[in-house]
Amino acid sequence: MPNRRPIRGTEVKKNTEFGAPSPLALFVDRVQAVVVDAFLLAFGGLMVELLVLAFSGRRGATGLLLTAEKILDLLHYGWMAAVAVVLALIWNAAHVPLGTSPGRAMVFGLTEEEKDLPWSQTTVGWFVAILIQLTFFTGWLITELDLMDFLTKFSKAADILRGLMHPQASILHQGSVLLVQTIFLAFMATAFAIPVAFVLSFPSARNLTRGTFIARTAYIVARTLMNFVRAVEPLVWALIFISWVGIGPFAGVLALWVHSVAALTKLYSEQIESIDNGPMDAIMATGASTLQVLRYGVVPQVIPPFLSFTIYRWDINVRMSTIIGFVGGGGIGYILKPRVDLGEWGEVGTLVLLIAATVWVMDIVSAKIRERIV
Amino acid sequence: MTGGTAAAVEVRDLGMVYPGGIRALESVSFEVKEGEFLAVLGLSGSGKSTLLRCINRLLDPTEGTVHIFGEEVTALRGSALRRLRCRIAMIFQQFNLVKRQTVLTNVLSGALGRSRLLPSLMVSFPQAERERAVAALERVGLPGRADSRADALSGGQQQRVAVARALMQEPQLILADEPVASLDPALRHSVMRHIESLNREEGLTVLCSLHDIDLVTRYATRLIALRDGQLVWQGSPSNFDQKTFKEIYGQDAEPASNSGY
Ligand SMILES: Nc1ncnc2c1ncn2[C@@H]1O[C@H](COP(=O)(O)OP(=O)(O)OP(=O)(O)O)[C@@H](O)[C@H]1O
Ligand SMILES: [Mg+2]
Repeated sequence: MPNRRPIRGTEVKKNTEFGAPSPLALFVDRVQAVVVDAFLLAFGGLMVELLVLAFSGRRGATGLLLTAEKILDLLHYGWMAAVAVVLALIWNAAHVPLGTSPGRAMVFGLTEEEKDLPWSQTTVGWFVAILIQLTFFTGWLITELDLMDFLTKFSKAADILRGLMHPQASILHQGSVLLVQTIFLAFMATAFAIPVAFVLSFPSARNLTRGTFIARTAYIVARTLMNFVRAVEPLVWALIFISWVGIGPFAGVLALWVHSVAALTKLYSEQIESIDNGPMDAIMATGASTLQVLRYGVVPQVIPPFLSFTIYRWDINVRMSTIIGFVGGGGIGYILKPRVDLGEWGEVGTLVLLIAATVWVMDIVSAKIRERIV
Repeated sequence: MTGGTAAAVEVRDLGMVYPGGIRALESVSFEVKEGEFLAVLGLSGSGKSTLLRCINRLLDPTEGTVHIFGEEVTALRGSALRRLRCRIAMIFQQFNLVKRQTVLTNVLSGALGRSRLLPSLMVSFPQAERERAVAALERVGLPGRADSRADALSGGQQQRVAVARALMQEPQLILADEPVASLDPALRHSVMRHIESLNREEGLTVLCSLHDIDLVTRYATRLIALRDGQLVWQGSPSNFDQKTFKEIYGQDAEPASNSGY
């Protein structure tokens, strides 16, 4: 009988060969914990200072109470950062008597004793709770929430609402024509986005890009590019393309196209990441090449969800194309903006109704089609 | 190595540590002769799938070597690796058919390794291959199902399509990873018999992980057993007794069925 010495089997999750972390890795972890703590402490400190200044009754040069914006100018950012770093270092060094700091908890986890306690009995718990409270109060000041304004000054808005309730037929024809343009604008942007997003989604999928160095690089490049493109709002893209190809629906198409490519790439690649690997393995095992594996093992699995996402995207693009005209990107927004500026609320009402009806119909149609596909 | 006695598969000191640090195989060595039906036994998690996947390099083993018909597969890359995979068919526990494609396309995908790239990307195959695929389907007892969608078939039928796909590859070696474990016990023989016929009639070498002792004694010509990633036993089914069973599965284990082993 062969020997049956105990070996590392299924139950042993962390292999000892990989057990103790290197000193460098430990150092990096510790720095991470301190940085997180310093950031949180500085953030908390600044919020406390802001609240103190706001309620101290101090007045500015004009004799008026300080506004939140002005206070933001006055805060001692450098000092707070310095103090926070020192405090964070102390807290991390003395984490045993003081209780685990949030940064430490994030990097190393809570200690065994603290894990079993309710949040109200741990230092981290209290720290986070107070931080959330502070953020809420500070947010109230910074965004200048004012319940009194909200409750007492409705009459002006009532004029607009009254206008909207009495749509005027005079603009119905022009509005309808531009509405058609809007829908086609959205359609073209979506249609052109499909092939580009389709191709880009493969290098953007983590599960397909682990193999080689080239694949990993392609993943990082594709992901970074798409994240950047998606981070820029379609309205900003519209401004860019207006200066490129001039005012009009084409600029709108390009703006929505760029944004749709990025959004669809993300949706598509996430879908690819969630496929069943089995068919891929099976096709690979037959000796098929990479393209064949993608064609047979991946594509059939993702086509229906891709279609569904694409229709959903068209739906979104119709909505977006109504406002892309605000900045000159064509479509119904192009005539809506001047009427808002002139206060012709009756005509605005007509246009808003047209848009609402379209979006509503698109919503139903896209939901129906997607139901069929999946 | 000479002629008929050449080892179809020769595994030497094979070791596999997964990226997370889990060791799944430790210095496993064994040989499979051409034409043998080798069953791989072992508890769940003992490393059977890992072993089979290291042989056709769906996984890259971290230690040791695998030779197939004298060729070292652990050293192969790129197109040489793909050419080798063409000669090794694999059958999976979960069938792994492409569900949204037709049965015929699934069988045809066994020919991908020798097909021209562009037509194959458009799912277009030469007439000769199509005829071969139809013949393979007939052989596994599914004539007339060529145009059904793969997921419209029952489990046993799907696995027979997978056998047809393997047949389509015209392989020299078949790796089967618990091919009948997710099938109704009554249907197991319907699939096993086809694998057996490939072994007996075409002389293909078969490596098949199984956990049903009945199936092992019925089909295998030799067996090896894994435990915690190590090879703990090898021999012929006739030498496999109660004592060996406990060695492999632990003292508390009982054979799942009460018929003999
Ligand atoms: N992709 C993976 N990453 C990390 N560990 C894995 C992976 N696949 C398997 N393992 C581990 O390797 C060991 C062997 O797994 P393997 O799947 O080869 O066992 P098996 O004998 O095929 O089991 P089963 O009968 O359940 O299919 C197990 O401990 C398993 O947890
Ligand atoms: Mg397995």
